[in-house]
Amino acid sequence: MRYNRSISLVTLGIILLSFVFAEKKKKIKVWMIGDSTMASYEASRAPLAGWGMPFVYFFDSTVTVDNRARGGRSTRTFISEGRWQPIADSMQEGDYVLIQFGHNDEAKEERYKDRYTPVPDYKTNLIRFITETKNKKANPVIITPVTRMRFDKNGIQQETHKEYTAAAWEVGKEYNIPVIDLDTKSRELLQQLGPDYSKLLFMQLDSMAHPNYPAGQKDNTHFNDYGARIIAQLVLAEIKELQLELAERIVKPPVKK
Amino acid sequence: MKNTILFFGSIFLLSFAMVEKKKIKIFLAGDSTIAIKDTKAFPETGWGMPFVQFWDSTVTVVNKAKNGRSTKTFLSEGLWKSIMDEAKEGDYVIIQFGHNDESVEKKERYSTPDTFKMNLNRFIKETREKKATPILFTPVSRRKFDKDGKAVATHEQYSALVREVAKETGVLFIDLDEKSKALYQQFGPEHSKLLFLQLQPGEHPNYPEGKNDNTHFNELGARMIAQIVLKELRNLDCGLTERIIVREVKK
Repeated sequence: MRYNRSISLVTLGIILLSFVFAEKKKKIKVWMIGDSTMASYEASRAPLAGWGMPFVYFFDSTVTVDNRARGGRSTRTFISEGRWQPIADSMQEGDYVLIQFGHNDEAKEERYKDRYTPVPDYKTNLIRFITETKNKKANPVIITPVTRMRFDKNGIQQETHKEYTAAAWEVGKEYNIPVIDLDTKSRELLQQLGPDYSKLLFMQLDSMAHPNYPAGQKDNTHFNDYGARIIAQLVLAEIKELQLELAERIVKPPVKK
Repeated sequence: MKNTILFFGSIFLLSFAMVEKKKIKIFLAGDSTIAIKDTKAFPETGWGMPFVQFWDSTVTVVNKAKNGRSTKTFLSEGLWKSIMDEAKEGDYVIIQFGHNDESVEKKERYSTPDTFKMNLNRFIKETREKKATPILFTPVSRRKFDKDGKAVATHEQYSALVREVAKETGVLFIDLDEKSKALYQQFGPEHSKLLFLQLQPGEHPNYPEGKNDNTHFNELGARMIAQIVLKELRNLDCGLTERIIVREVKK
């Protein structure tokens, strides 16, 4: 009897242990909402790339990245075109929403009035994204808009989103939401590379260099394949720095012999 | 009546002009510097990966290049045979080897100079027998600078052998070793690192310890090399230029 009891205790222990080991991380989704600098592109537009494209390769099999970012969208048009609601509806507990807007919200020129969003509205829209995300017990992360390349004559990289980056920070602080200051991080990177070599990150092509852009390209906003990956790495570094639970889901390479 | 004849006549002629180009394949035979990488090896990129973006719908690029392969192992593993089984008249076969043929310390891949030349000759001959067009490349350069900041040759002996074969056979030829070395020189000792698989520890999850590789490209290096290859193919005027994808010039 006593013997039997110890056997059943051992068995019970084994069963419990097997539960501990078998406990798999819940599968989650990382939703990406933002503009052209984050978006995915077809091969016909290569080497144009948004940083969401290399970003998907950073995570293990418990993470599905759903990149809903679209070129030319501001917080306002992302909502008005019905791009936000389906995300808010299908989001699950534990998911993440990475939010990076600003490039188009801040476009004051007449020709961009379809997308322009004044700062107060920009903040209201960000607050809507984070509130509705939190209501679903998912995790919003605010990302300040990645910098454009603009060096002054002394080779100093300029701030290109001042107002909107500040506004994103204010919302993050007020609502106690993690903020990835991609604007600052990317400016530091460009400063380090300098005016000549920073071009390597952007859609800068001589004419005839790439058949997709026969006339060449001189773009200081949109990234190429390389720039997109370098920016994605900056975002990943901040995810680790902020110690988000998402950092525990970064892919681990097989142990080498 | 005359008008009707003219009308139908021109439609008849037009239909010839619009006849579709024959579909062809470009086979890539080579090593890791060309090969398609698994996502777990990203951002390592072979130049064959961006190369596929350059062509119109009449071209299929078949990238048979594989990490670690020399002419010898490309043959012994049946990779070459798989190209010959598939190649048809009008196709192209791009041949770039050397990195592994020249590695004396790795016996299973090493090819003696004689064997290397013999294998290249075989590739050319068999491609021609298929009425396909071989294009021979010298091996793309590794990144190496001397103390004065001059990019130095990294495949001296084996590139010379490729040049000999090119001369002896009159095959279409691209000196990618020279062209890539010139590119690294243009970038200089420091910035040429941006073209290679060079990563700080922790920067990319696939390489937690970082990486300091002067042979394998990242996506920028691979694309730059592919762009050089495209430019050189245009210069060869070998029938591929008219199959480069044509895009509207955007305003």
